[in-house]
Amino acid sequence: MSAEFSYIGKRMPRPDIGPKVTGEAKYTEDMVVPGMLEGRILCSPHAHAKIKNIDTSKAQALPGVVAVITHRDVPDRKFTRSTMAEAEPGGLYPMERQDQYVLAEKVRYIGDWVAAVAAEDIYTAERALDLIEVEYELLPTIFDPFAALDQQAPQVHDDAPGNIAFEGEYPFNCGDVKSAFEQAEVFAEFAGVNSRQKHLHLETDAAIAWWDASRRLNIISPAQGAHLGKRHLAKRIFTDLSEGDIHWISPAIGGGFGARLALGVEPVAVVLARMSGRPVRVTMTREEDFSGYSSRTDQHQTIRIGAQKDGTITAIEQQIVSDSGAYLSHSATTSIVNCVQTLGLFSCPNILGQIKVVYTNTPTTSGFRGYGNPEGAFIMQQAVDIVAEKLGMDPVEFRLKNIRKVGEPSIFPPVALAHTALAQCIHVGAERFGWKQKWAGWGKVKTGRHRRGVGLSVLANCTSAGGVLLEHSSAMIKVMADGSANLIVSPTEMGQGILCGLQQVAAETAGLKFENIRMVSGDTDVTLFDIGSHASRSMFVIGNAVANAGAKIKEQIRVLAVPKFEKWQKKVTPAEIEVREGRVFLKEDPSVGFDVSEVAHDAIYNFGFAGAQIAATGSYLATDMAQNHQAAFAEVEVDTETGAITVLKYVVAHDIGRAINPQLVEGQMEGGAVQGLGFALTEDFIVDPETGRVLTDSLFTYRPPLTTDVPEMDNLLVEDAAPNAGPFGAKGVGELPVASPAAAIANAVYDAIGVRIHSLPMAPEKLLYALRHRGEGPAPGASRVTGQFL
Amino acid sequence: MNPIKAISKHVATFRINGRDRETIIEPHMLLVDVIREKLGLTGTKRACGTGNCGSCTVLLDGVPIRTCICLAITATGSAITTIEGLAKSDGTLHPLQQAFIDHAASQCGFCIPGMLLASAALLADNPKPTRAAVKRALVGNICRCTGYVKIIDAVLDAATQRTKTMEVRT
Repeated sequence: MSAEFSYIGKRMPRPDIGPKVTGEAKYTEDMVVPGMLEGRILCSPHAHAKIKNIDTSKAQALPGVVAVITHRDVPDRKFTRSTMAEAEPGGLYPMERQDQYVLAEKVRYIGDWVAAVAAEDIYTAERALDLIEVEYELLPTIFDPFAALDQQAPQVHDDAPGNIAFEGEYPFNCGDVKSAFEQAEVFAEFAGVNSRQKHLHLETDAAIAWWDASRRLNIISPAQGAHLGKRHLAKRIFTDLSEGDIHWISPAIGGGFGARLALGVEPVAVVLARMSGRPVRVTMTREEDFSGYSSRTDQHQTIRIGAQKDGTITAIEQQIVSDSGAYLSHSATTSIVNCVQTLGLFSCPNILGQIKVVYTNTPTTSGFRGYGNPEGAFIMQQAVDIVAEKLGMDPVEFRLKNIRKVGEPSIFPPVALAHTALAQCIHVGAERFGWKQKWAGWGKVKTGRHRRGVGLSVLANCTSAGGVLLEHSSAMIKVMADGSANLIVSPTEMGQGILCGLQQVAAETAGLKFENIRMVSGDTDVTLFDIGSHASRSMFVIGNAVANAGAKIKEQIRVLAVPKFEKWQKKVTPAEIEVREGRVFLKEDPSVGFDVSEVAHDAIYNFGFAGAQIAATGSYLATDMAQNHQAAFAEVEVDTETGAITVLKYVVAHDIGRAINPQLVEGQMEGGAVQGLGFALTEDFIVDPETGRVLTDSLFTYRPPLTTDVPEMDNLLVEDAAPNAGPFGAKGVGELPVASPAAAIANAVYDAIGVRIHSLPMAPEKLLYALRHRGEGPAPGASRVTGQFL
Repeated sequence: MNPIKAISKHVATFRINGRDRETIIEPHMLLVDVIREKLGLTGTKRACGTGNCGSCTVLLDGVPIRTCICLAITATGSAITTIEGLAKSDGTLHPLQQAFIDHAASQCGFCIPGMLLASAALLADNPKPTRAAVKRALVGNICRCTGYVKIIDAVLDAATQRTKTMEVRT
C-alpha cells in the first residue's frame, strides 16, 4: 500500500501539534480584542420560577460595570441551542423546537440564564452579578421524565402539553412486530437507562463578540460548525442580520465531543457587545458548565427481541423515553439516531421504534459523541445476549448470523449496504482476545470473591448523516508561486486530527508535498460552506470535497506543464504527465520532470503564460451513511465484596475502510474507548430528585477516567477500502469507540456474576445491590418505560 | 476608591522562565490569572478552577503546582516554569515536547501544557520511570481526548531515548 501512495496510510505529523506542545496554540479564552470587556452570566438558583422583578441599578452603579442585561434587553425571539436544525430538510420531523430566549423571564432549571454583566475586568463582573436583585415567584417543579408525562404534572413549557418535547416513530418501522413476537420461538426483553455523561471538554464555554466599524458582527468562539451557527443566529435570534453580516472565527478548540454543535454563550456576548458598544468576552466556570446546558441525554429504553430456534432474529422493538431537561437541543435527534443505529444493525423483517422526549426542570441535555449509539448499545447488546443465552448459542456466532450483509438495507434503509467488514472485525477481535479460550459457555457459575467474565459488543455507526441531513462540504486549494499551497477548509481542529488527514488527502490528490500545504480553517469569511465536524463525517464528506479539489489542481498542473516538456523535445498530452510529491514528470519516464513550482510560478508571474493562479474548489454532498462498524471484547474482574469492576483486557476491531493516518485513527480509538470506559464505570451525573440541583457539579464529585484507569487495550484497524465512502475508501471512526465499552463490559459483568446491570454507570453500589438482590425488586434508578425495575 | 484595595494593590516581581517580570497585583489574584492575563503567557490553561484537573500546572522551584488554587502573591519568591519555558531559548524543543509530537500525544491540546510540566517534574525526579510510575505521576492531570495511551508512551519514550539531553530551565 505504501508504494501505491505518497501520504495515504502514513503516520504524518499533525499540523496543529507543534503549537500545542509549546503553549503557543490560541484558544478562545487566550484571545484579546483591544477594548475588550469581561462578561459573566447570572444563573437561576431556582428550578422553576417566574421572574417578578429584576433590579439591576446597584450592579449598574458599580464602578467598572459597562452593561447589564436582562430578559428585557434580548431579542423577543425563541431559538434552540442546536444549530443542526439548519441542516435538516423540513418536513421529516419537527426535531427541534424553538423554545428558549437568550435570557429567561421564566427560569426552568437551576442554572438557567437570568441576566448578564459586562465590566472592565472579571472580578468587577463577578461582584456586579452579586448586586443584581431578582424577585422570583416559585412554580411547582418536575424532575422525573415519567412523572412529567402524568397529566397532572407541572408544565415546563406552556405550549408543550404533557411536557412532550417530541413524540415520533423511527422512520423505517417495518413489518408487523406484534404478530412476529407471538410467533417467535425465543423472546427477550431488557430495559435500562444511561447516565447524563458530561462532555467535559477541558476548555469551558467562551465567546468574544464585537461590532466593527462597518456594523458587522464578529464572533470568536469554539464552534464545531460555525457556518450553520451563523445561519442559525441570523435566522432565529438576531433577525435584523443576514448571514453575511456575521464573521465567525473558531481558533483552536479545547475539546468538543458534540457540545459545540449548539450555541453556547455566543448570543449573550452579542447582546452585551451591542449594549456596551465594545468587544465582550463571556466565560463560564466549570461549575456552571456542570450545571449548564450540555450532557448526554438520559434515554430510558426497553428493547424486545424475538427469534427463531435456529438463531434468526425475527422482530425487534425499541421504546425510548428521553429526558430533554428544560429545553430541547439534540435530545430528539439523538433518540432517533439511537433507533437508526440500534435497529439498523441486524437483518430483521419486523421493526418497531417509538420515541418520546420529555421536558423536565433539569439542565438541558444534548448531543454527545456517539449520538444515541452508546445509549442504545448498552441496552441492545445485553438484550442480544439474553436471546443468545436462551438459544444456547455462542454470542459471537449469534451476532455473526444476524448482522447485515452487503446488498441488504444499510442503517439508512433506503440505501443498500455497500460495504461492511463487520464479520471480519468480529473474527479478528475474537481471535486477538482469545474468545474461544476465555468464554466458558452460558450458565457457568463462578465463585470466590473475585470473579472474572468476558463479553462483547458488535455495532454499526453512521459516517455522516447522509440522506437525512444536508451533508454538504466544500473546500478550496490555491497554489502559490513557490509550489506551496493553502488548503482552505471549514473545520476547526478540536483535537480529532481532521486537519492532518485532510492535508494528507490534498497532498495525495493534488500531487503536492505534504509539508508544503498550509492549513487555513475556522474562519467563515474565508472558508467555503460545511455543516461542521460531527457524525464521524469529516473524513468522508469534507475529505471527498478536498479530494475533488485536489484532483482539479493536479489536472490544472498537468495542462500548464505541457509546454514545459518542450525543452526535452517532448510533445506530450496532459494525460501522459504525472504529478506527485511536488514533482511534475512523465509517466513513461519519471526522470524527465521538474518541480511543481516552475508551473505554479509561471501561472502567476509569467506574462506569456496562463495568467491564472492554480486554484480549485471541490464539493461533496453525501446521500448515504457509509456506515462503519466495530466489534469489542472485554474481560472484567468483579470484586464481589466491594462491587468494583476492573477491566483486565479490552480488544476492539474497527471497520475503518482505509486509515488515512493510522496513528490518528488509533488516537480516536484509544480516546474514545477511555471516554466509553468512564461512561461505563465512573461518570455519574446526579440531579437531586428533591431540588433539581446538580450534585456532581465539580471534578470533586464527577469522576472521569484518569491515567490509572486505562486497561490493557488492543485497538485493531480492519482496513478494506470501502466503495461509496470517503477518499481512498475511508470511513469514519470518531464516535463508535465511545459506544462499545459499556455494552461489552455489561455483558462481561453478567458472565462474571450472573446479574445484569440496568443503569449506567456500573458503579460499585449498584453492583453490590444487584448481587444482594439478584436483579429482583426495586433498585435505585428504576426505569418505568415498561414498569421493569433495574 | 476602596481603601483596602488602594493599600493592597502593589507591584510584584515574578521570576518566570528565567526572567524577572514586574506586574501590578492584588492579594486576591490567582497565579493562573496573573500568568495568563498580566504576563501574557496563555499556554497555562484553566479548565476546572478547583485544582482537580492539572491543566494549569506550572513548576514552582521545579515542583508541579496548580495555579488555579494558588494565590499569586505566594509565588513571588520562587522560580516559575511555564510551558513557554520548557523549550530552550533557541527554540529547541524539550525531549518531552518532541516525543509528544512523534507520538501524536496531543489532540485538543488543552491539557498538554500541564501534562508536559508534570512529566518534566517526574523525569527530573525519576529519569527511568516504569509505566506504572508514569501513570501515578500523571494521575492528577485529566485528558479528555487521548485516553492517555499515547501520552504515557511519549513520556516513556522521552525517558528511555533522550534522558541525556534532559534539562528544565528554571
